[in-house]
Amino acid sequence: MSIPQLKMGVLDRVSKYSRYLLLLPGFVLLLLFLLIPLSMIVSISFFERFTLAGPENFTLSNYVTFFTSPQMSTILLNTFGMSLIACLIAFLLGYPMAYFLVFRVKSTRARFFVVSLLLVPFLIDWSIRVVAWLPILGESGIVNYSLMSLGVIKEPLELLFGRSALLIIWPQTYLLWMIFPSYLALTRIDPDIINAAKVLKAPPHRVFFDITFRLSLPGVVMGFIFVFVSTLGDYITPALWAGGIQTLGLSVANYAANFVWPYAAALSTILVVIALLVLYVLLKVVDIKKLVY
Amino acid sequence: MGWGDRLAKVYIALIILFIYLPVFFMIALSFKSGAKISFPIEGLTWDWYIKPPTGYEYSAYISILHDNNFFTALNNSLFVSILTALLTCLLVTTTALALRKRIVGRDLLFYLFILGFIVPGVALGLGVAFMFRLFGIESSLLAVAAVLTVYTVPFGLILMMSRFDPDLATYEYAASVLKASPLNVFRRITLPLIIFEVISAAIIGFLLSWGEVIRTQFVMKGTGTLATYIKNELSINPITPKWFAAGTLIAIIAFIGLAIFAYIMSRRVR
Amino acid sequence: MGKALETRDLVKWYGKEVLALNKVTFDIDSGDFFVIVGPSGCGKSTLLKIIAGILDYDSGKLYINGMDMKNVPPYKRDVSMMLETYALFPHMNVFDNVAFGLRMLGKNKSEIEKEVKEALKLVGLAGLEKRMPLELSGGQRQRVALARALVINPSILLLDEPLSHVDYRLQRKLMEDLKEIHRKVGNTFILTTHVQEHALSLADTVMVMNTGVIEQIGKPEEVYNNPATVFAARFVGEINLFSAQIKSWDGELCYLNTDIGELKANPKNKNTLSSGDKVAYAIRPERVKIGEEAKLYENKIEAKLVSYYYFGHYMEYVFQTGGNAKIKVSVPTEKVGNLTLGSTYLLGWSAKDALLIEKPCMIEGLDIEEVIYGK
Repeated sequence: MSIPQLKMGVLDRVSKYSRYLLLLPGFVLLLLFLLIPLSMIVSISFFERFTLAGPENFTLSNYVTFFTSPQMSTILLNTFGMSLIACLIAFLLGYPMAYFLVFRVKSTRARFFVVSLLLVPFLIDWSIRVVAWLPILGESGIVNYSLMSLGVIKEPLELLFGRSALLIIWPQTYLLWMIFPSYLALTRIDPDIINAAKVLKAPPHRVFFDITFRLSLPGVVMGFIFVFVSTLGDYITPALWAGGIQTLGLSVANYAANFVWPYAAALSTILVVIALLVLYVLLKVVDIKKLVY
Repeated sequence: MGWGDRLAKVYIALIILFIYLPVFFMIALSFKSGAKISFPIEGLTWDWYIKPPTGYEYSAYISILHDNNFFTALNNSLFVSILTALLTCLLVTTTALALRKRIVGRDLLFYLFILGFIVPGVALGLGVAFMFRLFGIESSLLAVAAVLTVYTVPFGLILMMSRFDPDLATYEYAASVLKASPLNVFRRITLPLIIFEVISAAIIGFLLSWGEVIRTQFVMKGTGTLATYIKNELSINPITPKWFAAGTLIAIIAFIGLAIFAYIMSRRVR
Repeated sequence: MGKALETRDLVKWYGKEVLALNKVTFDIDSGDFFVIVGPSGCGKSTLLKIIAGILDYDSGKLYINGMDMKNVPPYKRDVSMMLETYALFPHMNVFDNVAFGLRMLGKNKSEIEKEVKEALKLVGLAGLEKRMPLELSGGQRQRVALARALVINPSILLLDEPLSHVDYRLQRKLMEDLKEIHRKVGNTFILTTHVQEHALSLADTVMVMNTGVIEQIGKPEEVYNNPATVFAARFVGEINLFSAQIKSWDGELCYLNTDIGELKANPKNKNTLSSGDKVAYAIRPERVKIGEEAKLYENKIEAKLVSYYYFGHYMEYVFQTGGNAKIKVSVPTEKVGNLTLGSTYLLGWSAKDALLIEKPCMIEGLDIEEVIYGK
């Protein structure tokens, strides 16, 4: 098709700038509630104090303090490690779900029904959903009760406390963040490509790893990004349910609550940098734009 | 049916069970009598799970219905979520239509919108709090909705852009060749073709803002939305059946709200 | 010569409504260039996918090289396939696409390198190894798909509509190449097409299909000269068809009442015909003569010239008879006389050239007139 108008769509014939006009509302929102706040965090992190009159005394000491503090490595390890493991668990649970939904549930009605079922828990309050795990995983919940009566363990496991709480609550909360983009990517694979691999002598596991999984990677990466940054920014689960496992997010919240603004800003900046670094690395591996255009 | 299909069915059922398990317990516990749910419940026996009826009643529902703060929070939540839903579907639609074809800086803009999700919630929340403090702005429900929209737009954008019919521009072209004005082309061709994605974007906006705690907690002052109100209550008070009753009520209200919303949306545009 | 493929009563349903294959039974000899021709939706693609193993059949038998293929997964069959959409792996370059099958077979690196090079040379794409599928033209993609299917050297190569998405010149080039490659490698080729010319010119054996059933199998000239059904006659080459009833016999010569008057025929299938039978009277356009020449033949009819089409090496005239029926006549360009539109001419043809076709098609319950005038 080389008809230029066809490529442009109707909008462009109204005005050359109509596309940019359409971008305006979204851009204004981004500017006010993303770009300005972000630049505030970054700039305030380089000051000693942030009073009502504005920031005072330029300094690098916030960063120096953090990177020389003894807890630094624990905090970074908790932040990185826990989020990464949560991602992996969500992937291991969520990817097969997306795969089966796309390739094994043939009727579109059944598929729609399952997807709707997955969405309903979104309507239930997050904190209550977490609390409702207590009868199952709590100190005297089903799991501990069974394990103790079977004699596997003597003392109840503290499943909903400490690190294991993060690894149970996070994947459960963010499972859909993994299923949704994986599902989207899998539905975009042309079935004939899979057929081609089959007739070209690929046994089922090679069809999966060389073709299906490979082609769904943009979705998987998107899912990883979703879950990773969601858990990175979540300070409530570590504070409330994990008994104060020190993560970067929780530190930000604690310092902010005590009005140590510049230090909280410095920690936030580090958090943002980590998120962007992970994003950059993942984008080097896979082009997530393939998922959308 | 091969073993693969059977495995798939079992797996899907297990995941759904995994997601619904706490929901079942929430509903069951909301009918529990007594002011406090202590763990262990009636000692370490299975009885508690197998024969629930004794001692079950509706007192938890009565006590939540007398909680005025709950209703304030519910009001706030509905306002914030509906506003976020509308903002999300509006902004997603305009942005997706604008980014549909190659324009200068498309990739940059796309990543900029995605950034709204990438920036960790706690950092963005803090940034907005700084901004309000520096410019002396009072926080409001409107601000909460705006902050949440930044967070929900990327989801809607990815969904809508990945679902665009590749021939959309061709249909629009055909309509305009047939002498339709640009406004008519949008109303009669473009919008009907993307209406499913538009409604999806609104629903995404509603669902994500409904449960969001991290950003809301930072930006909000006072009672807050349901999600932050209950989170704060649960973090200082003992866990009582009242909160499970609240959870059940919220789910029902949100479900009805969502259904009405989707219905009106789909009627409106047809 | 052994059998590369045998099917017995293959049945395939799509859901409960659509019967894609209705008891399909046929054999293919090893080394044959077998072309399945039929309109879209006739089940030819379904059949190919079933042979390849990417689609299951509901009942019947399928043998490849004498082995029952029930529950044999595609990667264990001695078959490869070029799909209609080409389905090149978008994340692999040309070399990796072509090497894919060889890697799956576990060949070593140097073998793969050598064979991929050869295959790409064979299809005329040497030097494009590093290109990604998105950077190729339609014709190049098609060639990559062909090389990719060819390189694993299967005993049966399935080609699903390989000629349908490219322009005329590329079609011709690819047809020549396919024939030459087939001669070189000697494997069995099974090709589907909805274009009759491709079937006639490529095939050693042609199979005409119609909504899930086989209409006819035979050498191209057999199918062309002796179509088994009206459907096969219409689908393979141009033909004039009239609904007719046998009136009487005069030795070898048969007299018929048709829409355009009394006609005579000298049918080969004499033994199965008797007076009163309803048949289709068929005559190929190139057998009909115009003017002086027409006077020599048993069948003569006056008709008005209503239009003509110039095809380069021949001219096709369309005449209208008194009975409002149309007759097509094709004449080699060098023999074209000076005809004027609207004038009436004498048309004639030999009774020996006329065909009497008894069956409308292989689908039960269709009336012969429906099939003749169906479209």
